[in-house]
Amino acid sequence: MKYNSQKAGILLIAPSVLLICSLLVYPVVYGIWLSLFKKHSFFPDQRFVGLANYGYLMKNSDFWMSVWYGTVYSVSTIFFQIVIGIIAALIVNESFKGRNFVRGVILFPYVIPTVVAIILWKWLLNNQFGLVNYLLLAVGIIDDPISWMGMDHIMTSLILISVWEFFPFVVLSVLARMQTIPPLLYKAAKVDGAGAFRRFIHVTLPQIRNVLFVVILLRSIWMFTKFDTVWLLTQGGGAEKYIRTLPVYAYMRTFMYYQAGMGSALAVIMFIILVAATTIYFKMFRRGEEI
Amino acid sequence: MTPKINFFSIRGQFVYGCAAILAVATAFPFFWMVSTSFKPLQEIFVFPPNFFPAEFTLKNFERLFEQTRFLTYFKNSVFVSFTTVVLTMIIGSAGAYSLTRFKFYGREKIASLILFTYMFAPIMIVIPFYVLIKKIGLANTHAALIMAYTAFCLPFSLWLLRAFFQSIPLALEKAALIDGASRLEAVIYVVLPLALPGIIATGIFTFILAWNDYIFVRILITSDELKTLSVGIADLYNATVIDWGMIMSGSMLITVPVLLFFVFVQRYLIAGWGAGAMKG
Repeated sequence: MKYNSQKAGILLIAPSVLLICSLLVYPVVYGIWLSLFKKHSFFPDQRFVGLANYGYLMKNSDFWMSVWYGTVYSVSTIFFQIVIGIIAALIVNESFKGRNFVRGVILFPYVIPTVVAIILWKWLLNNQFGLVNYLLLAVGIIDDPISWMGMDHIMTSLILISVWEFFPFVVLSVLARMQTIPPLLYKAAKVDGAGAFRRFIHVTLPQIRNVLFVVILLRSIWMFTKFDTVWLLTQGGGAEKYIRTLPVYAYMRTFMYYQAGMGSALAVIMFIILVAATTIYFKMFRRGEEI
Repeated sequence: MTPKINFFSIRGQFVYGCAAILAVATAFPFFWMVSTSFKPLQEIFVFPPNFFPAEFTLKNFERLFEQTRFLTYFKNSVFVSFTTVVLTMIIGSAGAYSLTRFKFYGREKIASLILFTYMFAPIMIVIPFYVLIKKIGLANTHAALIMAYTAFCLPFSLWLLRAFFQSIPLALEKAALIDGASRLEAVIYVVLPLALPGIIATGIFTFILAWNDYIFVRILITSDELKTLSVGIADLYNATVIDWGMIMSGSMLITVPVLLFFVFVQRYLIAGWGAGAMKG
């Protein structure tokens, strides 16, 4: 259809572009600028310090610990999300009674507020009155209550909660793709004598490969930058420093030490790590197909 | 339609078993929240715990409404979320319509910009965003929150709406134009009704994102009377001795609207998801 018009088209997209540029892109660019200053978070005074913030961080052990915790957290949560997500998608792709109910229910953790997820799990994992410890004791798996929010187990708890909260995203994305696989492919594989496992490896996996590529990319970005789940779990336990990931550390620098410049430097470092990781990821896995 | 799996086969039992584990693992925590919120205080700490409240009470809800500003938080959440949804849907639909119906210089560049910003996480922009908002004097206002959410939801809304608009055949619009409708009439009477399911689905994703957000409220809002539910409940939790009954009843009330919307949108969900819905 020909319309009079580049003009109308540009006019209609203009508000979107304007908002995205001024409220998303500009802040990121401004953050890079800000990271070159020693700037108080509340008061307007600021002093140009060049790369001093970055230099300070490179020699700071808290920073390196946060990179380490952040990596442990994102790598392990992504691994479990993907594995559990694919298995769950395979299950709810079968036709059984109550399938729609299960499909609906397994998405709950992903759509509820993170605050609620954290409060729920803090209650379930409470070391004195929590149901999880009660069940583990009752079945005899453990002899003493586990202190889930203590320094030894808090990372495990965090990973458990995060996988629970975010694996539904994987289920939905993979399931949507699985439903478009022609059943004929499975029939042919069956005729050729392939068992369930080999059908998965040779039929399902190649078909969902492209979706998995995107899902792993998005989940990696969002787990590496996950703030609220981690931050809310750190509240009121005393073991917060054992799950202080990079986003939490950036927040603390800005809003507890009031160093907005330092906080911005941390956000920029996060951005650089992500861009580098994404580039490597594309180079390694993307063999010229469209995503 | 593939036939239902036979429950009595090994494969059938495996599938049913796994499905049951999945359903319990995801739904049980909610059941436990509901159960706890109706228990009287002393029963909450009974050991061994009761799965169903032995004594049913609404005292937890009473305390929530009388001793806290829960209702204020609730109103704030409703206002901020709905304003965000309305703004995002208007701006996003216009943008998506433009991306699918017009050819202009830079259109593909704009599409990549949208996809790129879709990957942004709040923590990457929130610090400079806060400094900028303070500079223009909007700190501690709902306007700041609405701006943040609208900007943040636009990329995925545009991406999703674009896919929905693409699926509406151009021929329908052409036919309306030939019948003498104006461009605007064609949009209002032909395109929008067909795009409505997509717009509703996108709107609900936006609503859930705004309703659930914690970090922007935490950073941009300082007055108690302007807080929304996420931060309100988190602060109740952190206040003093934890009143588990009250916290659970509050958590339940925050979750209900989301789950209601979610049940409503479920039939659009899988289609939307394929096009890249939601973030976070």
